[in-house]
Amino acid sequence: MAEVLARLSSQAKALGLGTLLLVVACSTGGGGTSGGGASTTDVTVWTAWGGDELKAFRDVLKPFQDSTGIKVHLTTNRDSTNQIANGIAAGTDLPDVAPGPTDPNLVKSWISKGALKPMETILGDKFNDYISNTYPALTTPAAGQSDNPYILVVGGKHYALMVKTQVKGLFWYNKKVFTGTAPKTFDELLGLNPSQFGGAKSLFCAGFESGAASGWPASDQIDNIIMRQSGDQIYTSWIQGKVKFSDPAIKLGYQTFLKEVSDSAVFGGRNTALSTNFGKAGDPMFNSPPGCLFLEQATFIANFFHQNKGVTAGTDFDFFAHPSINSQYDGNVNGFYDQFSVYNDTPAARKLMQYLATKDAQQIWADDGGTLGAIKTLKYKDPIFARAAEIASGAKNLLVTAGDFMPADMQKAFWQSLLNVTRNPGSLDSELKHLDQVQAASYATS
Amino acid sequence: MDQIITAVVAVVGVPLVLLGYIIGGEKVMERLPDRLQGWARPYFWALPAVGFATIFMVYPMVRTVIISFRNNDDTEWIGLANYKYFFTFPDTLTALRNSVAWLVFYTFFAVFLGLIIAILVDRVRYESLAKIAIFLPVPISAVAASIIWKFMFDYQPPGTTQTGTLNAVLATFGRDPVAWLITGPFVNNAALIFVGIWTAVGFCMVIISASLKAISSEVLEAARIDGATELQIVRLVVTPLLWPTITVVGTTMLINALKTFDIVYVMTNGAYDTDVIATRMFSQLQSSHFGRAAAVGVVLFIAIVPLLIVNIRRFQQQEEQR
Repeated sequence: MAEVLARLSSQAKALGLGTLLLVVACSTGGGGTSGGGASTTDVTVWTAWGGDELKAFRDVLKPFQDSTGIKVHLTTNRDSTNQIANGIAAGTDLPDVAPGPTDPNLVKSWISKGALKPMETILGDKFNDYISNTYPALTTPAAGQSDNPYILVVGGKHYALMVKTQVKGLFWYNKKVFTGTAPKTFDELLGLNPSQFGGAKSLFCAGFESGAASGWPASDQIDNIIMRQSGDQIYTSWIQGKVKFSDPAIKLGYQTFLKEVSDSAVFGGRNTALSTNFGKAGDPMFNSPPGCLFLEQATFIANFFHQNKGVTAGTDFDFFAHPSINSQYDGNVNGFYDQFSVYNDTPAARKLMQYLATKDAQQIWADDGGTLGAIKTLKYKDPIFARAAEIASGAKNLLVTAGDFMPADMQKAFWQSLLNVTRNPGSLDSELKHLDQVQAASYATS
Repeated sequence: MDQIITAVVAVVGVPLVLLGYIIGGEKVMERLPDRLQGWARPYFWALPAVGFATIFMVYPMVRTVIISFRNNDDTEWIGLANYKYFFTFPDTLTALRNSVAWLVFYTFFAVFLGLIIAILVDRVRYESLAKIAIFLPVPISAVAASIIWKFMFDYQPPGTTQTGTLNAVLATFGRDPVAWLITGPFVNNAALIFVGIWTAVGFCMVIISASLKAISSEVLEAARIDGATELQIVRLVVTPLLWPTITVVGTTMLINALKTFDIVYVMTNGAYDTDVIATRMFSQLQSSHFGRAAAVGVVLFIAIVPLLIVNIRRFQQQEEQR
């Protein structure tokens, strides 16, 4: 019998529960499906955050729990989308509050199933304040459109509450090395002679290695090129699979990207860019003589510089915004954001969401550092984030990171294609042809 | 609360139910006529195990086969489309090629080196020490082993201090560093397979060594008296006697090779053309292409079944010989 029991998986246990209910007719009710009811005292929250991000979130929640007496049951769950999808399909318990899906198809499907609750009802009379306080790019579809599933706005309704944001595509530099003015255009940037600045060896540093997610730093670079070179329309259609990879606009993006990672432009050559972890990519900027002038990366990288090299933001290093490529598309900014959706409309969940939409709550995030809030008027002690907030405010369109919103196998192929063309630029055409094939196969629903 | 109740019910309840089944069932059995008892009892005792196996192994298998012929939402039959994808898409073909490379080289070197080492250490006084050294990588999880080897394969710009062991060795001979996991398709796939072999040789060696000890010394002495050289003894006496073991170990390694996932996932995630079948299956699952993932699973299953049969037959033969 021990062997039989050893085979029991967690599902087996659930099934065992069913058997027992038949035999004992015990009083637990409908097993897994009973749910917590409309709780006024408890709210379950899932988040993907861990470490400092989780600590910051706990700091944000503390005043809420203290003042309302509502208990927040917080779980770190990095697989929440899959688990919620299973929960919706099986009709089992869902968390009250958890990140909304990022896949536009899931967004629409979950809304049609009633799994996602609109912020218009959740926030009630606080909704208008939320919209006017938050970066418009996070809550408002482009002019003339009523939907943008990437920010979970469908049918004119908002299905997620934006809480944090980050800006990508910033060019970081060592202030003691790069003393020039920030280049206005991308060509100007590529035309800089690194050896004029403290004898730097190359123009750019790069690090595309990131374990199983290797290639994403390269995808950030090409995203920032395409959205500024060919515009947000093409960029968004491309994410949705409506523009092919072999399209001239996307190909031009790849070709421009390759200028950033040529053996002469990138520190240590292409193999170094491919082998270096993104977190260490910028370290050579602080060597003597400096390995490179610039590293392109999002706001979060400041912490890595500080940890790896003991340098301080503002005094030792700084950044400038991504230079313009086609002035027509200035104001397209690449960012990402953290959001929460409500899966069970309970009084406690409503109170929590209303609290998270307040400036007081988000200011705690801003004070803990390492991120921007979603509200425009927060104060940042860190000069880096104060300036990043300006870029976010000035953004006409805050555009999502392409790979994150593609089907998973498309994302993987996209990331890996950037590694492949970096390794062998001559393979560009065959890579793009291959990506077209993957695109056709992965966006297909069957 | 619900989860706690479920857990308690499962941990305490399920064994209780099974116990109740056995005690209650036995009471019923005792009242049956003797002949009927003898006939019914084995079925009665086997029923729970068969039931669990059906629910948790047979049913999912049948479902997987069904899903592989259906669309993503499991609403329509789509014939062989998922299989067509598997056998025509360039990515899966690359994965198939790599899996074949794993099958051949991983299996051959793991078993061959295991055999050679088992025979060699059998003849030295520090045998157990040598065996421990070779066996050490086996208990290391594949993920940890992959991370260790990622450090070993580490690449730094030419002309700077090499932190990766292999490139540091190359540097001492004045050679340029090699980007082991990037240069492909030969070097990186070989590097991954090598890590696989490193984690498997110890296992092969231990099993083969155990069966080597079972060969009676009289046989070897007889061969020596007949004038056989040591090499002839290994080739003509020891190896044939070890064949049943080598087959079992070999088929186990073949199955391991087909199932390879963790090393590839951790070290390259299939980048630079290093995908294998299992990592393809995973990425199809991740992108909610359940039909295609199921088709990959079925192909993998069909490939493994003959090996399993060989393995089980050999095992039975060995049992009979004892």
